[in-house]
Amino acid sequence: MLRRILLGLIVAAAGAGIFWWLTIPAVVAPASLAAYTPNVANGLAVFNAGGCSSCHAVPSQPDRLKLGGGLAMPSPFGTFTVPNISPDLTEGIGRWSEADFVTALLKGTSPDGRHYFPAFPYASYQQASVADARDLFAYLKTLAPVAGKTPDHDLPFPFNIRRNVGIWKWLFMDGKPFTADASRSPSWNRGAYLVNGLGHCAECHSPRNVLGGIVATQRFAGGPNPEGEGWVPNITQKRLGDWSAKDIEYFLESGQTPDGDTAGGSMARVIRNTSQLSPGDRAAMAEYLKSLPPVEGPPRSSKAKQKEG
Amino acid sequence: MKRVLVVTGVLLLSVGAVVAQQDVAVQQQNLMKAQGKNMYGVLLKVVKGETPFDQAAVNAALAGLEADVAKIPTVFTPNPKVDVVDATFGSSQKIWQNKPDFDAKVTPVTKAIVDAKGTAKDAASLKVAFDAIQAKCTDCHETYRVKLK
Repeated sequence: MLRRILLGLIVAAAGAGIFWWLTIPAVVAPASLAAYTPNVANGLAVFNAGGCSSCHAVPSQPDRLKLGGGLAMPSPFGTFTVPNISPDLTEGIGRWSEADFVTALLKGTSPDGRHYFPAFPYASYQQASVADARDLFAYLKTLAPVAGKTPDHDLPFPFNIRRNVGIWKWLFMDGKPFTADASRSPSWNRGAYLVNGLGHCAECHSPRNVLGGIVATQRFAGGPNPEGEGWVPNITQKRLGDWSAKDIEYFLESGQTPDGDTAGGSMARVIRNTSQLSPGDRAAMAEYLKSLPPVEGPPRSSKAKQKEG
Repeated sequence: MKRVLVVTGVLLLSVGAVVAQQDVAVQQQNLMKAQGKNMYGVLLKVVKGETPFDQAAVNAALAGLEADVAKIPTVFTPNPKVDVVDATFGSSQKIWQNKPDFDAKVTPVTKAIVDAKGTAKDAASLKVAFDAIQAKCTDCHETYRVKLK
């Protein structure tokens, strides 16, 4: 009996040890960042491509550079509240080091060494280059600080245990930066980098499994809106086959679809960013999106169902 | 037997209710589509240079738009709680959770249309006015319109 208890304890301790080891938050060491003069203009381009303001701007006011956070993001795992990323010294990123910021963006780890929840799309941002991350940091530091603390996330157990996010990262992040495909044009590669990395398009335009990870085989094939009502469209050639590259470019610039309608919902906020990109970057994104093979998205219940008022 | 009749009756009644709600949803969709016709079927084509600028046609489209936009608060008073079958867009339930805010978002749209009536004198000035109207449409669609496919 005693032996069995002892064995149980050892197995439990080993399990806890493995869990601990698997869930250690990754960081970018300050020493790994060589001396560098950041390019603030490129930082602005990264800011627009990354869509930072879509979530971090203070909601219900027109200034997209007021990054005090506060937007509530409902999800199947609870409600996240977007944090303040303005250069405010107490509530924002005013006291962060450059390595803190690069770590947050590319590894999803906070300056105090805890996992961020993947509502922050670092699983996409991990593909961004360190130089882009450093330029973005320099740009953010030029913006006006916004005072005020945002409310805490409202998540039920076990989703509120941040250490568990380490397992999520282990399952759904490869930790690899973007690698160019030499057989493709430079503009295609730029588009792939923007769409998959900074643009984090797949985060909404892909179905997710029960653990909240993107279903890799249906990447970009759309799915139910994780924020609640409605559907996020398939952006592979299954749905966008009759859109020309020019149509996609024009949509990213103006929000207007070829059939004469406009983006609404969260995409309205996205267009406010993509409309600020250079025409070349929008063309690159369009070229890449046109190259995505058609993929069938998850099925929808066709029955008209009664909504809860 | 009696029980079967009652159950069937109740089922038929609820089907009837859903059909009625479907009518409400279709009515709301038709109102928005009518605006889309003026906005994209007429004005956008001029803005894009696909049709030449014709002051009378532009004025008519703006007048139609203004009249339809004014109907939004009333037509969207009942909550159909269903989407139009096979529609691309639907109404968010947030409309009826926050109807005063929804209604308030209509005023700036009307103002942009009224402004356009005074300023749209050629394709270039129409483009400026069109973008201004569009931005106000989007302000409401961002929160209250739901993409369904």
